[in-house]
Amino acid sequence: MSSQDVLTHTFSNGLTLAAEIRPAIRAAAFNLRMPTGSAGDPSGKEGLSNVLSDLCYRGAGDLDSRALSDALDAIGMQRSGGPNRIAFSFGGAVMSDHLERALDLTADIVLRPALDPKELEPVRSLALQELASLEDQPQRNVFIHLNRAYFTNEYGLSFLGTEESLQSLTAEDMAEAQKSRFKPTGAIMSVAGRFDWERLKDAVEARFGAWDGSAPDLPQPIRRADGCYVHIEQDTQQQHIGAVYAAAPLEHPDIYVSRMALGVLSGGMGARLFTEVREKRGLAYAVGASGGYLKGCGYAQAYAGTTPERAQETLDTLIAELKRLTEGVTEEELERARTGLLSSLVMGGESTGARAGAISTDLYYLGRVRSLEEKREQIEAVDPASIAEHLKEFPPENFTVAALGPRRLEMPE
Amino acid sequence: MMEFMHTKLDNGLVVVGERNEAAQSMACGYFVKTGSRDETPEVSGVSHFLEHMMFKGGDRRSADDINREFDELGAQYNAFTSTENTVYFGRVLPECQARLIDLLTDMMRPALRNDDFEMEKKVILEEIAMYKDNPASVAYWEGLELFANGHPSGNSVLGTTESISVLERDQMMSYFERRYSPGNIMVGLTGAFDWDAAVRQIDEATRDWVPFDVGRETPELECAVETKVVQNNQFTQEHLIWFWPGLSLQDERRRAAAVLADVLGDSVGSRLYWGLVDPGVANSAAMGHSAQDRFGTFRAYASCDPERAGEVVQKVQNILKDAVENGVSEDEIERAKQKGASSIVLHSETPMGRLVPVGMAWAYRGEYIDTDEAVNRLLSVTKEDVETLLAEDPFAKGTLVALGPLETLEA
Repeated sequence: MSSQDVLTHTFSNGLTLAAEIRPAIRAAAFNLRMPTGSAGDPSGKEGLSNVLSDLCYRGAGDLDSRALSDALDAIGMQRSGGPNRIAFSFGGAVMSDHLERALDLTADIVLRPALDPKELEPVRSLALQELASLEDQPQRNVFIHLNRAYFTNEYGLSFLGTEESLQSLTAEDMAEAQKSRFKPTGAIMSVAGRFDWERLKDAVEARFGAWDGSAPDLPQPIRRADGCYVHIEQDTQQQHIGAVYAAAPLEHPDIYVSRMALGVLSGGMGARLFTEVREKRGLAYAVGASGGYLKGCGYAQAYAGTTPERAQETLDTLIAELKRLTEGVTEEELERARTGLLSSLVMGGESTGARAGAISTDLYYLGRVRSLEEKREQIEAVDPASIAEHLKEFPPENFTVAALGPRRLEMPE
Repeated sequence: MMEFMHTKLDNGLVVVGERNEAAQSMACGYFVKTGSRDETPEVSGVSHFLEHMMFKGGDRRSADDINREFDELGAQYNAFTSTENTVYFGRVLPECQARLIDLLTDMMRPALRNDDFEMEKKVILEEIAMYKDNPASVAYWEGLELFANGHPSGNSVLGTTESISVLERDQMMSYFERRYSPGNIMVGLTGAFDWDAAVRQIDEATRDWVPFDVGRETPELECAVETKVVQNNQFTQEHLIWFWPGLSLQDERRRAAAVLADVLGDSVGSRLYWGLVDPGVANSAAMGHSAQDRFGTFRAYASCDPERAGEVVQKVQNILKDAVENGVSEDEIERAKQKGASSIVLHSETPMGRLVPVGMAWAYRGEYIDTDEAVNRLLSVTKEDVETLLAEDPFAKGTLVALGPLETLEA
C-alpha cells in the first residue's frame, strides 16, 4: 500500500516498469501507457486514435484477427485501456499464471499489429455508427459538446471524430500513427497483483527491451478563459446540463486542497450539490462534480439532469453552489470530505486494476509514486483557511456551460 | 483465508458472513427479498421508491443525518432494487463496523415522513425521465414486460410517471408492512469484520422487529411469442431486444446456461460478435443469461443503423439456429469458461465484490460457495451440459422488441 511496496525499473529504451506485489490475490492487472493520445491525431483526422485502438486488436504478430481474439479469451484476459486525449494504453487482467502469455499478446498488439487494410472498413463503419449513436446518449453527448466549447485547440475535438474525418482515414494513416506514436520513451508498464518481480522484469525486457524511439510531443491544451453557454437542441425527456471551470492541475503542490474542495461540493450524499440540488429541491436524480486532469492543466466539471421546466432553476442552483465555495467551508464539511478521501485511498488499494491505474497515473504526472503516508499527511493538513486561500488562486468562475435538451437556458449572473 | 459463518436470530433475521482477514475494509448489506414482482399494479414502482425513502430515516435520524453519517464514516454505500431484491449496503474501514451496522439497521425501520415522501417523489420522477433518454433501458423494460406476459417478473422496477405521481405514503407503508418482515431480510458481512460483535449488535438492535409471514407468487411462465415494433423518433439507432425462457436460480443448469450465453453473445469473441460487430453490421450485440427466483431469461441486445435492422434480426436468427442444429465447440466452451473464471476472481478482490454473490447464494439456495469453489464449478461445465440445453431449443419461443425510428421491421 505504500511506495516502499512499489518496485520500479527503467529500461534503457525509456520504458518504466512499476509494480506492486499483492500475494493474497490470484490475479494480476497490467497497463501499458504510452504518452500519446487523441490530442496527437493529425489535423482533419480526429477519431484516428479510437479507430487505431480497435484495429490493433484485429490481428497482430502471427495471429489473424480471430486467432488473436481467441488467444486472449483462452487465457480469460479481461481487456482494458484505449486512448484518451493524452495517453494510449493497452492492458488487462488475468489469473497470475497467464500473465506472461498476456504480455506476449500485448507486445504483439502494440509492436506488431497487422493493421490489415481489409479490417479498416468494418472498423470505420463501427466508428461511424458509434458517432451516430451519440445522439441516443445525451448524458455522454453533452460532455462532448462541453469539451468542444471549453478547449479551443486539439483538446476540444471529439475523440470519436466527425463523419468527414472518419471517412478520410486510410490504412497508411494507421500504419504511420502506430509507427511514429507507439514508442517507449516515457511509456509506463504498471502491474499489480501476484507475480515474481525478477521474473516480471525479465519478461518485460524480453518483450519490450528492443523497442526504441520517442513519440512526438503532444500540443499544450488551450482553453477559453471567459466562459460561455452552448445549447444543443434535442427532443429529450430531460435537460442534460454540464459546466466546467479551471481548477488546480494534478501536479500542483496543493492538489489535495483542490480535491478536498471538490469533496465538500460532491464527495458524498451529504455534500453540497447532492443536498441542495437533489435533497432540498428534488431537481435531479443525477448530480455531481469531479476533477479532470491533463498534463499541467486541471479543471472541474459538474453535471445535473432534470426535466426541461426545472432546468433553469437547476442551472442557477448548480452555479450558485459552485460559487458559494469561495464563501468558506465549515470544519465539519471538511472533516467529512477528508474521511471520504482517506477511506477511498485505502479501499481503492484493494482492487488490482485500480492499483495498476493509480501507479501509472502518479508516475505519468509526478514522475514518482506517492506513498499513502505522503498523501495522508497532505490531506490531514488541509483546513478551511487553506481552502479559502487556494480558491483565491482557482476561484470557481467563468463557467463554460453546455445544455442539451428542448429548452434554451440563461446563464446566471 | 476465507471463513464462513451464519446464524438466525430469534425474530427470524438471518446473518451470514465471509471473513477475509487479509482485506482492508468490511462490507455490510441488508438483503430484502422484495422487488417489483411483489407489487400490485396500482403501486407499481413502490419497491424502488421505498428504497429511496429508507435513506430518509426513522425515529432516530433525519435524511440529513443519514447522508452526513455515511460521509463521516468515509463509506462507499448505496442501494439497488431489482424485480426481486432490494439491497442496502456500505463498505467502510474495519474500525467503523459498529457505526455502519447501526446506521443500516436503523434505516430498516423508516418513518416515511410526508415531506420527505413528496420531495423524493420529484427525484423518482426525474430518475424515470432520465431512463427515458436511455434507449437500451426503454427497450429492455418494453421487452421484458412483453415477454413475461403477465408473469410478475416482468414488472417494471421504476414504475411509470403516472403510477408514481398518484402513489401515496400510506400505500408505501402498507407495502413495507407486508414485505419487510425480519424473516424476509438477511444481513450479509464480508471482508475484515468482527463476527461476534456484529451479531450481538444486530440482535440487540432488531429485538423489537416483529416477524410475520411473507410470500411470493411464482406462477408458471407462459411467455409471449411475438415481435413488436415500438416507433420512437427520439432515437436515431434501432435498438433490438430479445427474450427467451432461461433457467432459475434454483436450477443447477444455470451455469451451463451462462456458458452458452457467453459462447453465443459475450461482448467480444462470441458468435454474435463475429457475426455482427466484427463486420460492422451492428454497433453492439451481446447476449446474457439471468437466473432469478424460479424464473430465468436468456436475452440478447443489438443496436444498429435502422436500415440494417432487418439484416441484424436475420443474422441473429441464423446464429441461434446454427447453434441449436450443430452445437458448439470444445474450444468455444473453454474460452467462455476461462473468461468467466477470471471475472469471478477479479470481482472477488474487494469485500464489496463478494457481498452480493455470498448474500444471494445464501438467501436463495442456503449455500455458501467460496471463490475457488465458484471457479471450480464453472470450469466443470461440459460441452455435453451445454448441448443438453441446446437440444431443448431454448430459443424456439420468445419475443423481440424493436425500438427506434422504424415503423415496421422487415427481415
